[in-house]
Amino acid sequence: MIDVEVLTPEGEVFEGEVRMVATRTEVGQIGILANHAPVLAALRPTELRLKVSDSETKRYAQAHGWLQVFGNRARLLVEEAIPPESLDAGALKEQLSDAEQRLSESDAESAEYARAQKDRDRAEAFLSIAQG
Amino acid sequence: MASQKEVKSRIASIKNINKITRAMEMVAAARLRRAEQRIEDLRPYSEGIRKLTRTAAAHAGSIPRVPAMEEREKVETVGVVLVTGDRGLAGAFNSNIIREGMRTGQRVREEGAKASYSVVGKKGVSALTFRKQEIAGAYTGFTDRPAFADAREIGEAMTARYVDGEVDRVELIYNRFVSPLTQHVWRQTLLPLQQAEVIGEGAEAEAEAEAEVSEAERFQAKSEWFFEPEAEELLTRLIPEYVTISVYRALLESAASELGARMTAMRNAAENAESIMDDLTLEMNRARQAEITQEILEVVGGAEALS
Repeated sequence: MIDVEVLTPEGEVFEGEVRMVATRTEVGQIGILANHAPVLAALRPTELRLKVSDSETKRYAQAHGWLQVFGNRARLLVEEAIPPESLDAGALKEQLSDAEQRLSESDAESAEYARAQKDRDRAEAFLSIAQG
Repeated sequence: MASQKEVKSRIASIKNINKITRAMEMVAAARLRRAEQRIEDLRPYSEGIRKLTRTAAAHAGSIPRVPAMEEREKVETVGVVLVTGDRGLAGAFNSNIIREGMRTGQRVREEGAKASYSVVGKKGVSALTFRKQEIAGAYTGFTDRPAFADAREIGEAMTARYVDGEVDRVELIYNRFVSPLTQHVWRQTLLPLQQAEVIGEGAEAEAEAEAEVSEAERFQAKSEWFFEPEAEELLTRLIPEYVTISVYRALLESAASELGARMTAMRNAAENAESIMDDLTLEMNRARQAEITQEILEVVGGAEALS
């Protein structure tokens, strides 16, 4: 078992012991089990899964954030971690098309482009979670 | 002297005002507690980000120069972000910010630069529109309960404008919550980001940073850290996060200040209504007494005339 803490700027979302943490870093999918080596990683929007027991898995729509694993303790600092059932597919579709519009309008070298890309990644990931 | 009837109806209307302002005071007080709680809720996250930065910095060797930290030699345009509320009836809460914003605009012009306003809150937007100021960004509809997503939108937009060279400095003006009775107008340089802002300020933070670094070094001696991506690259992404956190804190402070200011303003209004009610009641009693005296005099006068 590994201690997990999921923090967002709006407060703590989860704190407790789990069997496994599954999320996605800049490099790819990552699964953290007990006694994992120390990690510091940038997280990308994905479905965060906390396997509490064989029969129970907690799922969250997780936005960009950071992961630190040290001493059998995983700490996730994420911008958002929302239960999938409270996602609004309609609003997400709007956000996605808005981000795509901004992407097509801005210079690929600009910070505005990078910002639109970040918004698109989040909307895309959340939408696919919302649609199951 | 006003007639009894007129005074009576004035008392009734003042009584209504008293009830409404008391109710608004209580609503503001209840929501203020939650707003203060939200400021508290942010702390573990922002502390976590700071610790992460220190760990990564200890491994990267130094803090890389990220675009959001680079100071501009020539400042042509200054972004001014004003945080006001969506609603009034909160004393000088909104007008203090607008006044400070105009003063900052004046100062920026004296420096030979141009001010570009971004405004949070409907009150600020309408005040600036009235003053015929151009608004680069308007953010409304959330000031009494700001979400992190709102701060992200503002923070990332300002960072992008800074990095893309549209603005050469960004100042943030908001009400800082001191107590329900006191709010301080606060001006903060949002961009370029200061190194002290990222690592922490003062002797306490330094000691903490040192402890953190040596702790990190001990960790490293025992075990190898994995960085995804590399520590330096991680830092360049982590650092702009401070801008958003600063904006979010400002929004939360401002929300608490707004509620505190409204609570105080409404309490004063309710107390004022009570004292007017007392005065009017006195006036009404006098009017009634005068009427009675008048009637008695008439009766006495009539009786005397008959005898």
